[in-house]
Amino acid sequence: MTSEQTVGLPFEPEGVEWTPVSTRLAGARLTVLGVVLGPVTLLLIVLAVVVTPWIWIPAGVLLAVITFGAVLVPRQVRAMAYAERAEDLLVRKGIMFRQLVVVPYGRMQYVDVNAGPIARRFSIASVQLHTASPMTSASIDGLPPQEAARLRDRLASRGEARLAGL
Amino acid sequence: MTEDELDAGPVPEDRWRRMHPATPALRGWKVVFAVLLIVWYQIGDNLQDAYRLIDGHAWLYMLGGLAVVALVGVGWSAIVWRVTRFAVTDDAVHVHSGLVFRQQRRARLDRLQAVDVVQPLLARLVGLAELKLEVAGGSGSAVELAYLRESDAQALRAELLALAAGLRQGSAGAASGPVAADGVPFSVEAAPGSTDPTTAPTSDPTSDPTSIPTSVPAAAGTIPAVRATRLTDRIERRFEDAPEQEVYTVPTPRLLIATLRSGAVVGLVAAAIAVVVGVILADGDIGAAFVFVPGVFALVGFVWNRVNSGAGFRAAISPDGIRLRHGLTEARTQTVPPGRVQAVRIHQGLWWRGPDWWRVEMNVAGYAQAANNARETVLHPVATRDEAATALWLVLPDLGVADPRALLDAALSGRDEDGGFLTAPRRARWLDPFGWRRRGVFVTSTALLVRSGRWGRQLDVVPHERTQSLGYVQGPWQRRLGVATIAVHSTPGPVTPRVEHLDADALARLLDEQAERARAARALAGPEQWMRGTA
Repeated sequence: MTSEQTVGLPFEPEGVEWTPVSTRLAGARLTVLGVVLGPVTLLLIVLAVVVTPWIWIPAGVLLAVITFGAVLVPRQVRAMAYAERAEDLLVRKGIMFRQLVVVPYGRMQYVDVNAGPIARRFSIASVQLHTASPMTSASIDGLPPQEAARLRDRLASRGEARLAGL
Repeated sequence: MTEDELDAGPVPEDRWRRMHPATPALRGWKVVFAVLLIVWYQIGDNLQDAYRLIDGHAWLYMLGGLAVVALVGVGWSAIVWRVTRFAVTDDAVHVHSGLVFRQQRRARLDRLQAVDVVQPLLARLVGLAELKLEVAGGSGSAVELAYLRESDAQALRAELLALAAGLRQGSAGAASGPVAADGVPFSVEAAPGSTDPTTAPTSDPTSDPTSIPTSVPAAAGTIPAVRATRLTDRIERRFEDAPEQEVYTVPTPRLLIATLRSGAVVGLVAAAIAVVVGVILADGDIGAAFVFVPGVFALVGFVWNRVNSGAGFRAAISPDGIRLRHGLTEARTQTVPPGRVQAVRIHQGLWWRGPDWWRVEMNVAGYAQAANNARETVLHPVATRDEAATALWLVLPDLGVADPRALLDAALSGRDEDGGFLTAPRRARWLDPFGWRRRGVFVTSTALLVRSGRWGRQLDVVPHERTQSLGYVQGPWQRRLGVATIAVHSTPGPVTPRVEHLDADALARLLDEQAERARAARALAGPEQWMRGTA
């Protein structure tokens, strides 16, 4: 589907060592998907059996979405990675729509570490970098908690060392 | 009250002041206005009911109700006024407010992004003004000092800008203790004395014959200062306004014509003609015409807004940065210090191509969070090409090329490789059949220029040191064609530069180089306190 050399270069800069995020993120995301869509799908299936077969249509759509997610989410998670370079942080994600964000440490305004209940159960956390631009979508989901804490401290100290105005 | 516990801060007691005592009346009036507006909308729904109300005595009650609302509004504003106070120290502005929920805000002056003096119509009539400081701390971070005497607001602005620029009051200025606050007469001459005279044209006494040197010692003499009286005292002038030089003005006829030629107006007129034709064809069934009533109202609002905010637009340059004055009913004077403009967009709608007019907008951190950002972020509402070049020069004096004008011409109206732009490859036409020949990017030693738009033309300029972060994206179709997009992330505002559909490999190199250039430029960038000079 894709020719490798055109894909390779932009998203694989030379001399950059990528750290993939934890594969547990896939579990967490699928759990969320299941919790949200599972009960509705079950209800629809029951209704389809009991009331009218027409309800198989929405139930089928939901089942398709869940199946699609089950296939896609692990791949998506495998595509997510980050890399700390000397002066900036690289965050990469996406298979179909690929995205690479370059955030210089000196532009960082603050760093968020988040972990919701499901993420905690899977023992992962997310680190999000904020610059003065709301368009900087540099969030790294699915980090082990120690790694998240390490990254947070490291980013904060590096940002301080290179602090600049806006 | 427990004021003292909260107030134990670095601000000496006698530095605090209050807003002008007329503030509650002005603020209270807003409440009445809001109520009237709500009533108007209610009545607007049902005119017949409204007639019946006016027939009886109901309008008397309504008038009474309005009076009560006015009283409550003014009363509440008076309480708010009473508990609000502010102080300026060498490195920050402090504002304490709130009766039930106390708020103390300390805005660092070295983070100052812009200072506006705003005069809404009513305040203008009575000679008051609001001073707004943008400090780029996210939404609601602006410090609004409303209302002050107009002259006070200007004196305060001069002081804030001078302090933010790194000038200090007298020799004792560095110590922001009570000594400096109390006795030291902050004479105008003393201000630049502490700094290099070449970098401090702020208070050149010759530039302003009405300057205050004589009155300042007198004011200082009366200061011995009881706090209660000083709160509403006139603000003494410690710093002169920086001398400014006018750069361009916008003639009103041009503004009017340009507004009428904007895409929205032309589009609606075209639609109206279509409707008229339709009505004639449908044998005079005018029902369809009413669909356009809301559109017409929106359009009138749009035109009024553009004309009102752009009227009397003047731009000047001073050591304190760019100074913009504009507004018909609401007069606004903006001061954007050097290096605070994060990005500039010069664009032109289809119907402005004939007279070659351009609208110049800018990103300034802090401005975009304000409600009426469309008014604050305009650098030039209707510029000729020369003026657009001047406006860009205001922001970025050095474009980093030998012939900036030629580059700008290529950027504004050129296509393909004109002027050395890196352009979209021919295969990008599948994604962008019309605009691909205009898509392009040019890198100078100081800025990144992004060109786009086949009919409505557009140019985004981002100084390297203002790049926040970079995003490289590629969708499935782009990947198949071997092209990609770079988004240059800037602070919130009208300018969102994107280099779209350029060759993927070339962009990847650009991404790498741009990250490097941005870092190098940041390292060389001037200090936040712009009068300090590069070390």
